Amino acid sequence: MKPVAFAYHRPRTLQEALERLHSEPDCKVLAGGQSLVPLMNFRLSRPGALVDINDVEGLDRVETTDAGIRIGALVRHQVLSDHPLIREVHPVLAEAASHVGHWAIRNRGTLGGSLAHADPAAELPAAMVALDATFELASVHGVREVPARSFFLGYLMTDLQPDELLVAVHVPRSEGRAFGFAEFARRRGDFALAGAFAEVSEGGAGAVTWFGVSGGPERCELTFPEDAAAREAAFTALVEAFDPGEDAPYRRHLAVLAAERAYQQAVGRRG
Amino acid sequence: MMSEVQTKTTVRVRLNVNGAVHELDVEPRWLLSDVLRHQLGLTGTHVGCEQGVCGACTVLVDGKPERSCLMFAVQAEGHEVTTIEGLTPADGLSPLQEAFQEHHALQCGFCTPGMVVTAAALLRDRPNPTEEEVREALSGNVCRCTGYQFIVDAVLAAAKEGRS
Amino acid sequence: MTAEMLKPRFTGARVTRIEDARLLRGQARYLDDIAAPGMLEMAFVRSNRAAARILSIDTSAALRVPGVKAVWTFADIPITLVNSAYPVQQPVLARDEVRHVGELVVAVIAEDRYTAEDAAELVQVKYDPLPPVLDTRAAMTDEPRRVHADRPNRFYHKVQETDGFQQAFAGAPRKLKLTFTTHRQTGVPLETRGCAAMPDPASGRLTVYATHQSPHNFRAQLARVLGLPENLVRVVVPEVGGGFGIKAMFYPEYVVVAEAARRLGRPVKWVSDRTECLLTDAHARDAVHEVEVAFTEDGRIVALRDHVLGDTGAYPFLGFAGAVGEAGWATDMLTGPYKIPYVSITIDCVFSNKAPTGPYRGVGGPIGAQVHEGVVDAIARELQMDPADVRRVNFIGPDDFPYETPTGNVYDPGSYRESLERALALVDYERLRRQQAEWRKQGRYVGIGLCSFVEPSAFAESEAGSIPYEAASVRIEPNGTVTASFGLGPTGQGHETTMAQLIADQLGVDVKDVVVLHGDTDSAPFGGGTGGSRSGTIGGGAAVRAGQELRTKLVKLAAHLLEASEEDIELTEGKAQVAGVPARGLSIRELARIAYTDVGRLPEGMTPGLEVLVRYRPPMAATYSNGIHLAVVEVDVKTGFVRVLDYVVVNDCGKLINPMIVEGQIHGGVAQGIGSALLEELRYDGNGQLVTTSLMDYLLPSSTDVPRMRIEHLETPSAAEGGFKGMGEGSLIGAPGAIANAVSDALAPFGVFVTDLPIRPEQIVRWVRQGA
Repeated sequence: MKPVAFAYHRPRTLQEALERLHSEPDCKVLAGGQSLVPLMNFRLSRPGALVDINDVEGLDRVETTDAGIRIGALVRHQVLSDHPLIREVHPVLAEAASHVGHWAIRNRGTLGGSLAHADPAAELPAAMVALDATFELASVHGVREVPARSFFLGYLMTDLQPDELLVAVHVPRSEGRAFGFAEFARRRGDFALAGAFAEVSEGGAGAVTWFGVSGGPERCELTFPEDAAAREAAFTALVEAFDPGEDAPYRRHLAVLAAERAYQQAVGRRG
Repeated sequence: MMSEVQTKTTVRVRLNVNGAVHELDVEPRWLLSDVLRHQLGLTGTHVGCEQGVCGACTVLVDGKPERSCLMFAVQAEGHEVTTIEGLTPADGLSPLQEAFQEHHALQCGFCTPGMVVTAAALLRDRPNPTEEEVREALSGNVCRCTGYQFIVDAVLAAAKEGRS
Repeated sequence: MTAEMLKPRFTGARVTRIEDARLLRGQARYLDDIAAPGMLEMAFVRSNRAAARILSIDTSAALRVPGVKAVWTFADIPITLVNSAYPVQQPVLARDEVRHVGELVVAVIAEDRYTAEDAAELVQVKYDPLPPVLDTRAAMTDEPRRVHADRPNRFYHKVQETDGFQQAFAGAPRKLKLTFTTHRQTGVPLETRGCAAMPDPASGRLTVYATHQSPHNFRAQLARVLGLPENLVRVVVPEVGGGFGIKAMFYPEYVVVAEAARRLGRPVKWVSDRTECLLTDAHARDAVHEVEVAFTEDGRIVALRDHVLGDTGAYPFLGFAGAVGEAGWATDMLTGPYKIPYVSITIDCVFSNKAPTGPYRGVGGPIGAQVHEGVVDAIARELQMDPADVRRVNFIGPDDFPYETPTGNVYDPGSYRESLERALALVDYERLRRQQAEWRKQGRYVGIGLCSFVEPSAFAESEAGSIPYEAASVRIEPNGTVTASFGLGPTGQGHETTMAQLIADQLGVDVKDVVVLHGDTDSAPFGGGTGGSRSGTIGGGAAVRAGQELRTKLVKLAAHLLEASEEDIELTEGKAQVAGVPARGLSIRELARIAYTDVGRLPEGMTPGLEVLVRYRPPMAATYSNGIHLAVVEVDVKTGFVRVLDYVVVNDCGKLINPMIVEGQIHGGVAQGIGSALLEELRYDGNGQLVTTSLMDYLLPSSTDVPRMRIEHLETPSAAEGGFKGMGEGSLIGAPGAIANAVSDALAPFGVFVTDLPIRPEQIVRWVRQGA
């Protein structure tokens, strides 16, 4: 299990990185590499060149903005889960990040990498959709802002163009909405069999964003019934639309349970 | 199926491993685990899957446990890599290693360096972990021999005695 | 006095391991750590079809890759392995036809592994697909076809029935029918398999490093296949990172590597990657047991019928066809710790287009225990009895030993009842049952599972071969330190410590002064290796006997020099002295010096030197350890997830050499048992593709899946030297059944009874729905 040979570039500036992505054909971005490198070791991914962005200045920051927080693409999962600002503004995001893989994976894996890879069972793409984040995608042509909700296009597919780099995400403050998160996995750190983020606003309005149940994050708006059985029925009706593949009935069932647990957590957070 | 073989060019890197700087020529695709083991002779870092799952290849990169099979050696330039050899005193064993021996926390020994590296980082960050925290921290390091119990005991004992 | 041991200082003590320091420091040398100048590396092109004819192989592009030394097919290495019992041909590189995914087709030898893999990708193999044989039952009738055209798929059929079975079965008032299935699993030692071969043109000898459990067996196989005399082949087993049975087999890669080194005149190494391991390390289990039990109203089992269907994959391993081993051991031990007078056993084993099966820790034992313990629990449920009571009714009692089972085992004494009672006491069983009822009212489904087992060990025959003895070569060096050498093949069991403990006690020296060597056929005495839980009992017996023999000589020498009678000499703390008179003594060092370099002072007739070679063969065909596992699990009936809340093991492996090492072995086996019961499965799809080719798919228990375990030891000695019994496998024999029974117990309100392992959470949810 050894990767195919590739050319390696390690730019120091964003501009340099973008130029490389623009000029080099068959080129992939290497951030944390926790999804990419296993695929390369299996020779399932065989880029001709890698642009290692780990040294690019300014991509690893977490900062407050007028609308919320801006998180650099190179922020590692462990930082995401431990960061005081994130824990304060979006505890659900910190919690979701703590469920990514194991400690050693979280120390290296990055937010941008997870979003660009877009594994349908991953926590962070769904978190971004749930929190209505916007992604900054940069290229030599400039910066384009794409809402998370239109970024994910299907199984391992996104709106990110080959010459673009996901630079940062903007996560708006919750503004009266409360979020909850739950997931089910066979073992600690495994990809989820099913998971959900719940968003609850005044009067029970809100949404559930599922992951692990289809090709990508699935966000459904609904008014949460107060009655538990009615809620279960509502979730069940929604997940019917998804095709989780293997063990579909079971994973839909888990998706309903995850939604309920996430809902309970969100309601608890509303106080 | 590949249509042609990429030219295998090497690049010169300076790697800081266990406090020593090594200059060597590597192919960009060479995994850090391979370079540590086969170029630098630091065979204490083991390779159990190259899939990022088993944790046997765990080393510290700038003090943080990371998988050396999921990193290219070229990427380590400019960072400090610490392997099991770097956590081992010139003679004898570190207090954490001693706790592993006293508590029979190893059998075949293959996962052991990765376990010790991870546990050392845990105890540095969290000198008094609970059993649950130890199990969580080690959950990315597979051991097929011990059932983990004596490993957990060793780490807790090392913490209790303030050693790592 | 001399023949008897004084109070042992090390045997039975929690001696920390001698091998640990090098392992902890990262200085141990495993196979992939071995480097030699000019060493080449090998990668294989493996079949990506379950069954196909090979139409053509084009290696030309691969040969053009810079750094590639050779690209070989069967035409280049026309060597075929043949299992003497089931003569099907297994070419080391596929010839004309492939029979399972992962089968070797082409070997690529290059300057390094990266280059070898680059070239391997360029090899073009054209296949004409054949319908794969994947279903065991269909395979029985050669559907859809034969795996080996010249032989029926059903290659093994055995019937064994106790006289009077039919009558006893028919006459019993109660009957139950159950089908137990354990799916494919494998050992997954953390170190992958590998092999490095180095020719020495000067001596004409070939040195082969290999990750293996039996150095001499490996040498015998390799020498035979390559047509070399054994004294020209040196096999060295370096540090081995776990074996669990899978490293007891002889794999075709080893032949190709050794042959490549000979042909190219250079060192050649192959180290399996994890995917190769999951594809081709001996798979195991994969058996169906169709069981019928006849019993009385008070739960006494009268007769047991078992029809086993086993799948051995495409080829039988040399000396060990996995399905035959699994089914054989499972049914040999079918009656477990119970007095079941009548059995009827039918075994059918088939070939399929899956990877070959072989040994995995416990071989057949886990399935056998799952069957007899499942049967006992099913009877308990049927009769509304407590599962512990059904066991009590059926146990072989202390007065029944030696007890001959209807399958022909003669059990030496064990502690079957006592271990049950101890386990129940450890969890305060009555209180726990009341608590369970309370929890159930609250909607918490907690289950208690028992698995009582008998572990045959130190068998005359095992996957390590049919060598009912073990050898110890022990010498006291001229400076008084001790070097011992064994033909064992430890893979983490700590033999360097346990064997040293035994020898140190015989010689009255410190355990740290005993160096134990193993693994090198140039220095180790011929031995069977490690497997079948034989090393402690047979190897340990050899260590004790060798120690005794040396001790006798030391005493004789000391008595002569001290002008005392032999009866009065004691060996203690590195000295031989007249008992009670420390001033009248000589150090072992001085005795050794005299024995080697001052031989004029030896008593008349004594040969110089202090060195013995002893072969020890236990007086019995096997010795039987026993124990019981008690698992408390909670099942989340909504998610189907199972959490182990408590786990107790009462274990009786006779006299303990090192309780700490025994506990470590038990912990590890329980963890594997939890994996076996809840996580681990090698799954093939409908085309015969293995879909679990990474550790992301083949799920191993991690530190958060394995509970804290509590262990209690009982010590019923065996008749073997030292009173030892084997114990390497019992923990994995007991654990799957305990977990299965605990889950059944938790889900009893839903009428669920678990007979399929591993238990998948989606099954639990389905069962609960159906039962609710």
